[in-house]
Amino acid sequence: MTAMVSSILPPLLLIGPLAVAVFLLTLPWFRESLPEALATDHGGVTLLERIHLGSIGYVFLLSIAALIQVLSNGAISAFGDWLFVDALGAVFMMLIGVVGLMTGLYSIAYIRHDLESGAIDAGKVRIYYGFFSLFLFTMLLAVTANNIIMMWAAIEATTLGSAFLVGLYGQKSSLEAAWKYVIICTVGVAFGLYGTVLVFANAADVLADPHQAVLWTALVGHAAELDPMLVKLAFVFALIGFGTKAGIFPMHAWLPDAHSEAPSPVSGLLSGVLLKCALLIVIRFYVITVGTVGTGFPQMLLLTLGLLSVGVSSLLFFVQQDLKRKLAYSSIENVGLIVVALGVGGPLGIAAALLHAINHSVTKALFFCSAGNVLMKYGTRDLRAVKGVLRVAPATGLLMMGCALALAGFPPFNIFVSEFMVFMAGLNEGYGWIMALCALFLCITIAGLVKIVADSVLGKSPETMAKGDVGWRALAPLGVLAVLVLILGFAVPQPLSNLVQQATAVVMNGDSRPVVAAPWQTYDKPKYDTARAGGSLVTGSLSQTEISK
Amino acid sequence: MNGFLIVNGLSGLLIVSSLLVTLAGNPANSARFYALQSFILVMLFVALAGATGSGELYLWSFTALLTKVILVPAIMVRAFRRLSDPAIGTGAVMPTALSIVGAAVALILCFVVASKVTLPAADAIKPALAVSLALFFIGLACIVAQRNILKQVFGYCLMENGSHLTLALLAPNAPELVEIGIATDAIFAVVVMAALGSRIFDTLHTLDARQLTSLKG
Repeated sequence: MTAMVSSILPPLLLIGPLAVAVFLLTLPWFRESLPEALATDHGGVTLLERIHLGSIGYVFLLSIAALIQVLSNGAISAFGDWLFVDALGAVFMMLIGVVGLMTGLYSIAYIRHDLESGAIDAGKVRIYYGFFSLFLFTMLLAVTANNIIMMWAAIEATTLGSAFLVGLYGQKSSLEAAWKYVIICTVGVAFGLYGTVLVFANAADVLADPHQAVLWTALVGHAAELDPMLVKLAFVFALIGFGTKAGIFPMHAWLPDAHSEAPSPVSGLLSGVLLKCALLIVIRFYVITVGTVGTGFPQMLLLTLGLLSVGVSSLLFFVQQDLKRKLAYSSIENVGLIVVALGVGGPLGIAAALLHAINHSVTKALFFCSAGNVLMKYGTRDLRAVKGVLRVAPATGLLMMGCALALAGFPPFNIFVSEFMVFMAGLNEGYGWIMALCALFLCITIAGLVKIVADSVLGKSPETMAKGDVGWRALAPLGVLAVLVLILGFAVPQPLSNLVQQATAVVMNGDSRPVVAAPWQTYDKPKYDTARAGGSLVTGSLSQTEISK
Repeated sequence: MNGFLIVNGLSGLLIVSSLLVTLAGNPANSARFYALQSFILVMLFVALAGATGSGELYLWSFTALLTKVILVPAIMVRAFRRLSDPAIGTGAVMPTALSIVGAAVALILCFVVASKVTLPAADAIKPALAVSLALFFIGLACIVAQRNILKQVFGYCLMENGSHLTLALLAPNAPELVEIGIATDAIFAVVVMAALGSRIFDTLHTLDARQLTSLKG
């Protein structure tokens, strides 16, 4: 393990959103007149919205700053290594920064609409923005924690922080969703705690200093000395526990309810970022487990659960009529595919998993927010009633169509690039039949997505529906996300490719640099040769002489 | 060696108290039994601290006394007192006798698993280790086999006590901050669950998990 550079950025990153959350949520306790002051308008934006914008902007800027530092100097740490950001954590920190900013910007229009339509009152607006920042803080804590107990506590805190966002509307269905979310996830994460405790207890026995036994970086360094039986047990517990939070089948029961009942920007954040943060913790435990017992056991579990997630969710996706529930099942499917890629393993499999996590995050946040526009316009999520979006709200319709095509895995959108990598990795590692099954299930999803485009986006709009799109405040952040989806589909930018390579090296616990690029990016000869040798382009095994040529 | 005997003996009482928590007639009584169980847990920590000579464990016992014996049960009794839904009775899905048999079976299975653990730290306290694992699964069963949503909260508390005990048994020298992290999280979890439970009762006038089935598919 290379030495980590001490940096002030991780604690700075955390303190901003936490301060905003504490301020907004405890406000009425010490000053009764302040909530009214927050709602006063200043040039079209209320003070409360300004504070929220400050919080998400702060998180975005600092996460990018920390990302740059990690890319140029390697891992950074603070507080005696309790907090740290390595390339792996930086991938997820970046997602929180970018998707948090976009869904946060979109929230302004969405929450105003909810306030005007009477779905929520002014007090709830303050609670929404307070918990939004708290949610960002808890996710940032999860991805910057090096202390494994703190990792667990942070994942548990993400549930507690977002439960009120899920139940924001206070209706029967939203309260039910919030309750299921809290119960299933806390129970699930209690399994995570047990797994964490087992690893820690084991390491405390092996390492001389118990204060080191709690640090992930130290655990990875000493993984070979841990007890194989206990580590296997711990991995099963951790996979169940944090897998619950990541939405892996069969622990996914909370996910469709929470995603469909939460306000749309929060759905985007849950699906785009929270699931990935929980996956990060699974990956961290995976690295320890591989160090102790090798790749066989954890990969077998990951492949099984991943394939089951893809299979079950694709069928449930197809039959759903509720737009947001449909998208929720698609999230389970994509998480499943990421887990399959992790299970496939090898540098290419890991890199594919990470790139797919990034791509899915951006695309799904965009899709959930587009669904939010539909909800604002039609007042329902029922796909039998949502028809002709393209005629009623052309920009939203176009966005939805783009999202559907992207999610179906068509080029030139980003999901194609990472799904292609996943399949190449799978074929190269000799998992042909698993990849064939995945492809079959993905076809079912494509059918479902085409149905959305054909019936709801195109289709004939209801006669009574007033034409005209939602305002620019709701469309602008989605435009930015759409541009990201296209750019990432056209080519993987060099810094991102570097980041994914470095993150892969963290997971592989060594220096392996798979080619992270769209297939058509490997046009020049040297790059083509590396990609071919690394398995990103052709299938089947290459003889050693062929590689050396 | 006597210290470890006390530890193992006290762990038996934990099983009894967890059954009391699960089978109590109403949530407020469950909260009182939960306080009793936590008190046994604190005693166990003290005995373990004496037996292993771990200074950290004395500190743990103190924080556990504050949070689990006093604070969390107080929050629960306060929050749950006004909430009652006579329609669901005790809310238990299974008959009492079956629950007890189930707990016994879980305990036996956990003994089998614990006997396979090879850590040197676990040698003297294997019965207690088995109990801690069983406590975890009894908690899980309490959530699955309960219609009363407030009593489901206790299931989580039992699971958390189980993990806490495992941690103390296997890593008595864990840094104090680790323990504080777990305890704080548990408090927040109970507060959030109690708040949500109250909201559900106020809005839907029921505590029955079977009424919460409008979201399907």
